[in-house]
Amino acid sequence: MKEALERALGAPVERAVLLAGGASKETWAVDTGGRELIVRRAAASTIHKDTLSLEQEFEVLRAAHEAGVKVPEPIAYLGELEGREAFMMERVSGETIGRRVVRNPPEGLGVELAEELAKIHSIPPERLPFLRSGDVVERFYAELDSVHEPHPAIEYGLWWVRERIGEPEELVVTHGDWRIGNLAVDERGLVSVLDWEFAHLADPREDVAWPLVRAWRFGADDRHVGGVADLEPYLERYDELTGRSIGAEELYVWEVLGNVKWATGCLTQARRHLDGHDRSVELAVLGRLAAEMEYELLDLIERAHA
Amino acid sequence: MHDRPTPRELCEAAREFLGTEILPLLDDHRMKFRTIVALNALGIAERELAETEAPVEPDWELARAIRAGHPPANAVAILKEQVAAKLRVTNPPYLAKYE
Repeated sequence: MKEALERALGAPVERAVLLAGGASKETWAVDTGGRELIVRRAAASTIHKDTLSLEQEFEVLRAAHEAGVKVPEPIAYLGELEGREAFMMERVSGETIGRRVVRNPPEGLGVELAEELAKIHSIPPERLPFLRSGDVVERFYAELDSVHEPHPAIEYGLWWVRERIGEPEELVVTHGDWRIGNLAVDERGLVSVLDWEFAHLADPREDVAWPLVRAWRFGADDRHVGGVADLEPYLERYDELTGRSIGAEELYVWEVLGNVKWATGCLTQARRHLDGHDRSVELAVLGRLAAEMEYELLDLIERAHA
Repeated sequence: MHDRPTPRELCEAAREFLGTEILPLLDDHRMKFRTIVALNALGIAERELAETEAPVEPDWELARAIRAGHPPANAVAILKEQVAAKLRVTNPPYLAKYE
């Protein structure tokens, strides 16, 4: 890997260490020319239809950087590195493990989240013409159908949402996985927004509501936004900056949908193990985790009618 | 009915992890030996857990009725109990959050 990087960069590389080898992406810490960098590289041969290629992800990162979003500085798209595409970006510090972030979240993190999200949603869609859009409810019906297992609770969640969600008022560039765990945070606040592979065009409320999902509060259930902040200051600041008027009540439907999204996500990820694409005990157990989101969405629906 | 992985598939996933990712890392003979014993134990459980497929047809019928826009009148209560039954096996402490 070190030699392949030196060939790609035309410069000596002091260090190249594999930090994380996910099922779809590898992350390498690379030191070169006195700089501390990260190389993100495709891991498995399988390409997941709902994620961006690394070339596209790099373009999204560049667009976010141009829009003033706190992101690692994009350095270069490297093309194929030993047969798999890769790009290079600045290495940032900060905590990304959700359980640790929620233990002692910095003051004002909710407002900072709103500010970064407002900037992301201001990226002109024509800057990233390859981003996909589509009916969000249909998307999850299609995912659920790919699982070949009956899930009446998820069906009920989708039915309940379908009756209430309405047409999207507008489509914006969304991060697509906007939550604690995909953000680097230190004791002063938000350092950097990471993991752009799920970016797509969607109703802005999809991103706004995603960190509200109980699973993304990492056990700090009383802080509604990602286990780190209350909803009101987050939503107020977002509305103030974007000129939108998203209220807490309309987000409720999107929070239910968020639980549908993560429940189906668990089921489809488990299939990657079960169908033999990526044998992994971590992926396997996700198949049983979906029940937690099923219970949560039913409880949310029940409370909405109480 | 429980979701996949089945109990047999769960044993298989844990066994593969121990065999392909942990065992090669071990130098200590005693740890190596005990890991091989653990692998055998999981293998026994796997073979003993016959692939008992729960009857899923009622779940499919319920799922199809909801998709068609006809959920039963007391759907939330029925579904909550079904999901709770799954959670009591998969993650028993989880339900305490809702008490």
